[in-house]
Amino acid sequence: MLRFIKVLGYSLAPDYREGDFVLIAKIPFLLNRLKRGDTVVFSHPVYGTMIKRVESSGAKKGEIFVVGTHQDSVDSRQFGAIHTTDLIGKVIWHIRQPGKAH
Amino acid sequence: MIHRFIQALDDKFGFEQASAHCDIPCGIYDPITAQIAAVTVVRMMDLIADLESKGAHDVSYHNTMSRYIAVKEEHAEKAKAEIRIIWGDFIKAQHIEKHPNVHEVTHKIMMLGSKARQTVDREAAVQFVEAINEFAEIFWSAKGMATKRVKSPYNPPLELVYPVV
Repeated sequence: MLRFIKVLGYSLAPDYREGDFVLIAKIPFLLNRLKRGDTVVFSHPVYGTMIKRVESSGAKKGEIFVVGTHQDSVDSRQFGAIHTTDLIGKVIWHIRQPGKAH
Repeated sequence: MIHRFIQALDDKFGFEQASAHCDIPCGIYDPITAQIAAVTVVRMMDLIADLESKGAHDVSYHNTMSRYIAVKEEHAEKAKAEIRIIWGDFIKAQHIEKHPNVHEVTHKIMMLGSKARQTVDREAAVQFVEAINEFAEIFWSAKGMATKRVKSPYNPPLELVYPVV
Protein backbone atom coordinates (compact mmCIF):
# COMPACT_ATOMS: atom_id res chain seq x y z
CA MET A 1 0.00 0.00 0.00
CA LEU A 2 2.79 2.41 0.97
CA ARG A 3 6.35 2.35 -0.25
CA PHE A 4 9.38 4.54 -0.70
CA ILE A 5 10.80 5.12 -4.17
CA LYS A 6 14.01 6.86 -5.13
CA VAL A 7 13.87 9.38 -7.99
CA LEU A 8 16.30 9.10 -10.92
CA GLY A 9 16.68 11.62 -13.72
CA TYR A 10 15.66 15.21 -14.07
CA SER A 11 12.51 15.38 -16.15
CA LEU A 12 10.53 16.66 -13.17
CA ALA A 13 13.20 19.25 -12.34
CA PRO A 14 13.32 21.64 -10.66
CA ASP A 15 10.70 20.27 -8.27
CA TYR A 16 11.95 16.70 -8.17
CA ARG A 17 15.66 15.98 -8.42
CA GLU A 18 17.69 12.85 -8.75
CA GLY A 19 18.24 11.40 -5.30
CA ASP A 20 14.95 12.66 -3.84
CA PHE A 21 12.64 10.12 -2.28
CA VAL A 22 8.90 9.82 -2.54
CA LEU A 23 6.42 7.89 -0.48
CA ILE A 24 3.74 6.47 -2.74
CA ALA A 25 0.38 5.00 -1.93
CA LYS A 26 -1.46 2.41 -3.94
CA ILE A 27 -4.91 3.03 -2.59
CA PRO A 28 -7.79 2.75 -5.05
CA PHE A 29 -9.55 5.66 -3.37
CA LEU A 30 -6.61 7.94 -4.28
CA LEU A 31 -5.87 6.43 -7.68
CA ASN A 32 -9.47 6.81 -8.80
CA ARG A 33 -9.39 10.51 -8.02
CA LEU A 34 -6.24 11.61 -9.79
CA LYS A 35 -6.25 15.15 -11.01
CA ARG A 36 -4.02 17.40 -13.03
CA GLY A 37 -0.83 18.19 -11.14
CA ASP A 38 -0.71 14.98 -9.10
CA THR A 39 2.54 13.05 -9.32
CA VAL A 40 2.34 9.34 -10.03
CA VAL A 41 4.71 6.39 -10.29
CA PHE A 42 3.85 3.81 -12.93
CA SER A 43 5.30 0.95 -14.90
CA HIS A 44 5.96 1.47 -18.60
CA PRO A 45 6.56 -1.57 -20.85
CA VAL A 46 9.64 -0.02 -22.48
CA TYR A 47 10.96 2.58 -20.05
CA GLY A 48 10.35 0.65 -16.83
CA THR A 49 9.31 2.35 -13.61
CA MET A 50 8.72 6.06 -14.15
CA ILE A 51 7.59 9.08 -12.18
CA LYS A 52 5.62 11.83 -13.94
CA ARG A 53 3.04 14.48 -13.43
CA VAL A 54 -0.60 13.94 -14.36
CA GLU A 55 -1.57 16.24 -17.22
CA SER A 56 -5.10 14.98 -17.62
CA SER A 57 -7.12 11.90 -16.85
CA GLY A 58 -10.39 10.49 -17.89
CA ALA A 59 -10.32 11.58 -21.55
CA LYS A 60 -10.75 7.90 -22.20
CA LYS A 61 -11.73 5.72 -19.31
CA GLY A 62 -8.75 4.00 -17.75
CA GLU A 63 -6.19 6.23 -19.42
CA ILE A 64 -4.01 9.00 -18.04
CA PHE A 65 -1.81 11.48 -19.87
CA VAL A 66 1.45 12.07 -17.99
CA VAL A 67 4.20 14.63 -18.59
CA GLY A 68 7.49 15.80 -17.15
CA THR A 69 8.23 19.42 -16.41
CA HIS A 70 11.55 19.49 -18.25
CA GLN A 71 11.52 20.19 -21.99
CA ASP A 72 13.44 16.98 -22.82
CA SER A 73 11.19 14.74 -20.78
CA VAL A 74 10.20 11.41 -22.27
CA ASP A 75 6.51 11.06 -21.47
CA SER A 76 2.98 10.72 -22.90
CA ARG A 77 3.88 13.21 -25.61
CA GLN A 78 6.04 10.40 -27.04
CA PHE A 79 4.53 7.18 -25.79
CA GLY A 80 0.88 8.19 -25.42
CA ALA A 81 -1.45 7.82 -22.48
CA ILE A 82 -0.74 5.23 -19.82
CA HIS A 83 -3.26 2.78 -18.41
CA THR A 84 -4.49 3.13 -14.88
CA THR A 85 -3.69 -0.56 -14.44
CA ASP A 86 0.02 0.34 -14.83
CA LEU A 87 -0.09 2.75 -11.89
CA ILE A 88 2.16 1.80 -9.02
CA GLY A 89 1.05 4.62 -6.77
CA LYS A 90 0.40 8.26 -6.15
CA VAL A 91 3.05 10.41 -4.47
CA ILE A 92 1.80 11.43 -1.04
CA TRP A 93 5.09 12.64 0.41
CA HIS A 94 8.10 14.12 -1.33
CA ILE A 95 11.34 14.05 0.63
CA ARG A 96 13.79 16.50 -0.93
CA GLN A 97 17.51 16.40 -0.55
CA PRO A 98 18.88 18.96 1.87
CA GLY A 99 20.67 21.97 0.43
CA LYS A 100 18.95 21.71 -2.91
CA ALA A 101 16.18 24.18 -2.43
CA HIS A 102 14.56 25.44 -5.55
CA MET B 1 17.36 15.22 8.37
CA ILE B 2 14.45 13.14 7.15
CA HIS B 3 16.16 12.72 3.79
CA ARG B 4 19.28 11.44 5.55
CA PHE B 5 17.22 8.94 7.51
CA ILE B 6 15.46 7.66 4.41
CA GLN B 7 18.77 7.60 2.54
CA ALA B 8 20.10 5.33 5.28
CA LEU B 9 17.08 3.05 4.85
CA ASP B 10 17.68 3.05 1.09
CA ASP B 11 21.35 2.14 1.60
CA LYS B 12 20.23 -0.76 3.77
CA PHE B 13 17.18 -2.00 1.88
CA GLY B 14 17.55 -0.55 -1.61
CA PHE B 15 14.27 1.05 -2.59
CA GLU B 16 12.93 0.67 -6.06
CA GLN B 17 13.80 3.54 -8.38
CA ALA B 18 11.44 5.51 -10.58
CA SER B 19 12.92 7.20 -13.57
CA ALA B 20 12.05 10.75 -14.49
CA HIS B 21 13.61 10.21 -17.89
CA CYS B 22 15.13 13.29 -19.35
CA ASP B 23 17.76 11.93 -21.66
CA ILE B 24 16.85 9.99 -24.76
CA PRO B 25 16.85 6.55 -23.24
CA CYS B 26 15.19 4.65 -26.02
CA GLY B 27 13.38 5.87 -29.04
CA ILE B 28 15.79 4.60 -31.63
CA TYR B 29 16.75 0.97 -31.26
CA ASP B 30 17.02 -1.23 -34.32
CA PRO B 31 18.88 -4.51 -34.73
CA ILE B 32 19.30 -3.81 -38.46
CA THR B 33 22.74 -2.28 -37.88
CA ALA B 34 23.88 -5.53 -36.28
CA GLN B 35 22.28 -7.55 -39.08
CA ILE B 36 24.08 -5.54 -41.75
CA ALA B 37 27.37 -5.80 -39.87
CA ALA B 38 26.99 -9.59 -39.60
CA VAL B 39 26.23 -9.92 -43.33
CA THR B 40 29.35 -7.83 -43.99
CA VAL B 41 31.36 -10.42 -42.05
CA VAL B 42 30.13 -13.19 -44.38
CA ARG B 43 30.86 -10.98 -47.38
CA MET B 44 34.44 -10.42 -46.21
CA MET B 45 34.93 -14.16 -45.82
CA ASP B 46 33.75 -14.64 -49.41
CA LEU B 47 36.14 -11.95 -50.63
CA ILE B 48 38.98 -13.48 -48.62
CA ALA B 49 38.33 -16.91 -50.18
CA ASP B 50 38.08 -15.38 -53.63
CA LEU B 51 41.35 -13.46 -53.30
CA GLU B 52 43.14 -16.52 -51.96
CA SER B 53 41.96 -18.60 -54.90
CA LYS B 54 43.73 -16.25 -57.30
CA GLY B 55 47.10 -17.48 -56.06
CA ALA B 56 49.18 -14.31 -56.23
CA HIS B 57 50.91 -13.50 -52.94
CA ASP B 58 52.45 -10.16 -53.80
CA VAL B 59 52.30 -6.88 -51.91
CA SER B 60 48.96 -6.01 -53.46
CA TYR B 61 47.54 -9.31 -52.22
CA HIS B 62 48.73 -8.68 -48.67
CA ASN B 63 47.35 -5.16 -48.73
CA THR B 64 43.91 -6.26 -49.91
CA MET B 65 43.83 -9.28 -47.61
CA SER B 66 44.70 -7.11 -44.61
CA ARG B 67 41.87 -4.77 -45.46
CA TYR B 68 39.33 -7.60 -45.77
CA ILE B 69 40.42 -9.02 -42.43
CA ALA B 70 40.28 -5.61 -40.75
CA VAL B 71 36.73 -5.02 -41.99
CA LYS B 72 35.69 -8.52 -40.89
CA GLU B 73 37.08 -7.83 -37.40
CA GLU B 74 35.45 -4.45 -37.15
CA HIS B 75 32.00 -5.57 -38.28
CA ALA B 76 31.91 -8.69 -36.12
CA GLU B 77 32.69 -6.52 -33.11
CA LYS B 78 30.17 -3.88 -34.17
CA ALA B 79 27.39 -6.46 -34.48
CA LYS B 80 28.20 -7.77 -31.00
CA ALA B 81 28.24 -4.26 -29.52
CA GLU B 82 24.91 -3.28 -31.09
CA ILE B 83 23.20 -6.38 -29.76
CA ARG B 84 24.66 -5.83 -26.29
CA ILE B 85 23.22 -2.31 -26.27
CA ILE B 86 19.71 -3.46 -27.18
CA TRP B 87 19.92 -6.36 -24.76
CA GLY B 88 21.28 -4.22 -21.94
CA ASP B 89 19.27 -1.04 -22.44
CA PHE B 90 16.02 -1.99 -24.11
CA ILE B 91 15.15 -5.48 -22.92
CA LYS B 92 13.18 -5.31 -19.67
CA ALA B 93 11.80 -7.88 -17.24
CA GLN B 94 8.47 -8.18 -19.02
CA HIS B 95 10.25 -8.91 -22.33
CA ILE B 96 12.32 -11.62 -20.67
CA GLU B 97 9.17 -13.11 -19.23
CA LYS B 98 7.69 -13.31 -22.72
CA HIS B 99 10.93 -14.36 -24.43
CA PRO B 100 12.88 -16.35 -21.84
CA ASN B 101 15.41 -17.41 -24.51
CA VAL B 102 16.66 -13.85 -25.08
CA HIS B 103 19.72 -14.31 -22.85
CA GLU B 104 20.64 -17.56 -24.56
CA VAL B 105 20.28 -15.99 -28.01
CA THR B 106 22.36 -12.97 -26.97
CA HIS B 107 25.10 -15.19 -25.57
CA LYS B 108 25.07 -17.30 -28.72
CA ILE B 109 25.57 -14.11 -30.76
CA MET B 110 28.59 -13.16 -28.62
CA MET B 111 30.16 -16.60 -29.08
CA LEU B 112 29.53 -16.74 -32.83
CA GLY B 113 30.75 -13.16 -33.25
CA SER B 114 34.04 -14.06 -31.59
CA LYS B 115 34.36 -17.11 -33.81
CA ALA B 116 33.76 -14.92 -36.85
CA ARG B 117 36.68 -12.75 -35.78
CA GLN B 118 39.03 -15.61 -34.97
CA THR B 119 38.41 -17.74 -38.05
CA VAL B 120 37.26 -17.71 -41.67
CA ASP B 121 34.59 -20.29 -40.86
CA ARG B 122 31.81 -19.19 -43.22
CA GLU B 123 29.33 -21.62 -41.70
CA ALA B 124 29.81 -20.00 -38.27
CA ALA B 125 29.41 -16.53 -39.81
CA VAL B 126 26.11 -17.56 -41.43
CA GLN B 127 24.99 -18.87 -38.02
CA PHE B 128 26.03 -15.49 -36.61
CA VAL B 129 23.66 -13.75 -39.07
CA GLU B 130 20.89 -16.20 -38.20
CA ALA B 131 21.34 -15.78 -34.44
CA ILE B 132 21.01 -12.00 -34.89
CA ASN B 133 17.87 -12.62 -36.97
CA GLU B 134 16.47 -14.58 -34.03
CA PHE B 135 17.29 -11.65 -31.76
CA ALA B 136 15.61 -9.26 -34.22
CA GLU B 137 12.44 -11.38 -34.10
CA ILE B 138 12.41 -11.18 -30.30
CA PHE B 139 13.09 -7.44 -30.41
CA TRP B 140 10.31 -6.62 -32.88
CA SER B 141 7.90 -8.91 -31.07
CA ALA B 142 8.70 -7.02 -27.84
CA LYS B 143 7.81 -3.83 -29.69
CA GLY B 144 4.52 -5.44 -30.75
CA MET B 145 5.48 -5.61 -34.41
CA ALA B 146 5.27 -8.47 -36.88
CA THR B 147 8.34 -9.44 -38.89
CA LYS B 148 9.11 -10.87 -42.30
CA ARG B 149 12.16 -12.62 -43.71
CA VAL B 150 13.60 -11.24 -46.91
CA LYS B 151 16.79 -12.08 -48.78
CA SER B 152 19.28 -9.22 -48.59
CA PRO B 153 19.37 -7.27 -51.84
CA TYR B 154 23.18 -7.51 -51.96
CA ASN B 155 25.83 -10.18 -51.74
CA PRO B 156 25.73 -12.54 -50.00
CA PRO B 157 21.95 -12.97 -50.43
CA LEU B 158 21.19 -14.15 -46.89
CA GLU B 159 17.78 -13.97 -45.26
CA LEU B 160 17.28 -10.99 -42.96
CA VAL B 161 14.45 -10.28 -40.54
CA TYR B 162 12.69 -6.95 -41.09
CA PRO B 163 9.75 -5.41 -39.20
CA VAL B 164 6.49 -5.17 -41.10
CA VAL B 165 5.78 -1.43 -40.99
